[in-house]
Amino acid sequence: MINISPLEGAIADLQAAKTTPELIRATKSLCNLHTVDAISALIEVLGFNNPAVASVATAGLIELGSQAVPSLLVSLDEKNYGSRAWVVRALASIRDPRSLDLLEHALATDIAPSVRRSAARGLAELNLIYPEETSKLNRCLLALLAAIKDDEWVVRYSTIFGIEMHLLRYNSTNKDQCILGLKQLSSNSESIKVIRLRATLALQRINAS
Amino acid sequence: MKDPSTENLNPPLTEAQVIANLRQTEDFSDQYYAAWWLGRMRSRHPETIPLLLTALDPLHGNPIHNERRAVALNAIRALGILQATNAEEKLRILLKKNDYSIREESARSLGMIQAQSAVLDLCELLSGGPEETEQIQPGSAKLKEPYESVLEALGAIGVASRSVIIMITPFTKHSRPLIRASACRALLLLTGDQKWAPPLIELLQHDDPLIRRGVLLDLGATGWMPALPAIQAAAIENSLKLVALRGLAEKSEDTCVLDAMDGLL
Repeated sequence: MINISPLEGAIADLQAAKTTPELIRATKSLCNLHTVDAISALIEVLGFNNPAVASVATAGLIELGSQAVPSLLVSLDEKNYGSRAWVVRALASIRDPRSLDLLEHALATDIAPSVRRSAARGLAELNLIYPEETSKLNRCLLALLAAIKDDEWVVRYSTIFGIEMHLLRYNSTNKDQCILGLKQLSSNSESIKVIRLRATLALQRINAS
Repeated sequence: MKDPSTENLNPPLTEAQVIANLRQTEDFSDQYYAAWWLGRMRSRHPETIPLLLTALDPLHGNPIHNERRAVALNAIRALGILQATNAEEKLRILLKKNDYSIREESARSLGMIQAQSAVLDLCELLSGGPEETEQIQPGSAKLKEPYESVLEALGAIGVASRSVIIMITPFTKHSRPLIRASACRALLLLTGDQKWAPPLIELLQHDDPLIRRGVLLDLGATGWMPALPAIQAAAIENSLKLVALRGLAEKSEDTCVLDAMDGLL
């Protein structure tokens, strides 16, 4: 009998899994090992085009935190938008500042609205230190500011969330410009009601602070 | 990823170009795209609605030209999104056409326009006993009428008369879950009676993800605030939960919904 490690066992289970419940179980046991050695297998799972399984793997990667960032950063699959969305979501949740370039690029150029939505949230929540990292914080804010013109309401929504978060936490030289942008999104020139509601709420919170 | 170089080769269309594309009648694919675009971009150009209305005319031809029919279907949808109240009469006439998809899209758009004048015509599509409303049409999975979009439209229009309620209620017992959901959604909107909510919450646990998704959007559209936790907890992707919560937020204007949406980004 050959002794196999728990990691080898979990990976073998994953490879043998055929149905969604089997895939979920194998992915969960991989996550439960809490080891960096599972990262590449978990990233692979994101490309299976199976949202139920991918969400388990993403949760596992997020739990591994910054350790997973280098692999996630190089794993972006340009052709598979499903897996790209999960990678961006994981990076947005891990909040590691090394993701700044990638999130900035995703928000500005990715073709999938759900990717841009996650990227906007990521740029709102990166663990940057104020005031030491003001220039990076400013890059986040400028990327968000540019995205208030996005065609998709949900990306504009995420952008409002991000701008609000920045203005409530940090002093910014771009504050006036942000408020102008939020005012525009709260006015009747914005056709989607929920955007007007969210922008109005953001302005109230910023004015109150 | 978007490729900036190809973007520069094909600059985005301007509204004026799109209007011209809808007006011409040589290239159907340009017309088709234009009819969609004007709705999607919520065009307020003075020529938009007259041109979309003109695009409906081929539906009265015999036989109906297939590509012009496709353009007309997009025009029907766009007129709904643009809430073109002056399209009411033309859309009401289309409810009587011998074409399921035309009736379906017209009903939906009349709902978006909140066309009170269409209530009687819509109710007429719900008539017939169970043997008629359950009957599958030969050669397709469709029923006799597009019940889901008719029920949704009646809920959106908001005329809560006794006769409307009487027409809708039997559909809460229909064999198809999404039709039951549409009926409950409409009754919850029209009567505000909370007894129509539990069947929707229950359907949110259905095995079929397509049904879960449809019901999630129904719950959002009702604006019924107690549905918030069930929507948040549903086994459905965040993108769709956000769409459902958008419905809830726009109806209720409750900032709790916005906070819930923030948590799903």
